Amino acid sequence: MNNRIREFRARHDMTQDDLAKRVNVRRETIVFLEKNKYNPSLKLAHDIARVFGVAIEEIFLFDN
Amino acid sequence: MLFKSNFVLEINNNSIMKRALLALVVSLIVLASTALWFFKTEKSVTPRELLTFGIIIVLVGFGLYFAYMRFTGARRNEPPEDELSKRILQKTAAWSYYISLYMWVFMIWLKDRVTLDTEQVLGAGILSMAVIFFLCWIVIRFRGLRNE
Repeated sequence: MNNRIREFRARHDMTQDDLAKRVNVRRETIVFLEKNKYNPSLKLAHDIARVFGVAIEEIFLFDN
Repeated sequence: MLFKSNFVLEINNNSIMKRALLALVVSLIVLASTALWFFKTEKSVTPRELLTFGIIIVLVGFGLYFAYMRFTGARRNEPPEDELSKRILQKTAAWSYYISLYMWVFMIWLKDRVTLDTEQVLGAGILSMAVIFFLCWIVIRFRGLRNE
């Protein structure tokens, strides 16, 4: 699974720290997500998608 | 002075800070007792004891780093734990448990071949478990938890 968190964050002019605070996780978690070193839980994926106002599948790309 | 008293108040009011403070105190107690043993010993220090001392220093350093991260995180109003940190800890515990089992088998094998007191074997085993946990934590943090 890949994600476009960095791209959406830049589009919304948001820092990693801002996003982390909005979804109530540590900044380190956002760093891990952007480096594709961690797959988030469904709740976290949902929270991130809601912050950017898009559907989960627009941010998280599931490949076969 | 006011800054200091505010900081102390912040520590007292915050349970996250208390846990960080606990890690700090435990690390300092271990460091102090090791230093006392190292400097007050009558005998000359053997290389094995020096190695033990080195390992303890590394582990205390890890404890202090952990406490520092908790302090800085709490001051930035970050949650003390989130899903990633919990999963890293769970994975580290699982890995270190399995590896420690093999380490104890090795220690039993070693005890038959080397003359060691039971206390020495137990001490070395417990220290090895701490080192294994520390190494597993580092490997998992660098490797990440992708697709797990």
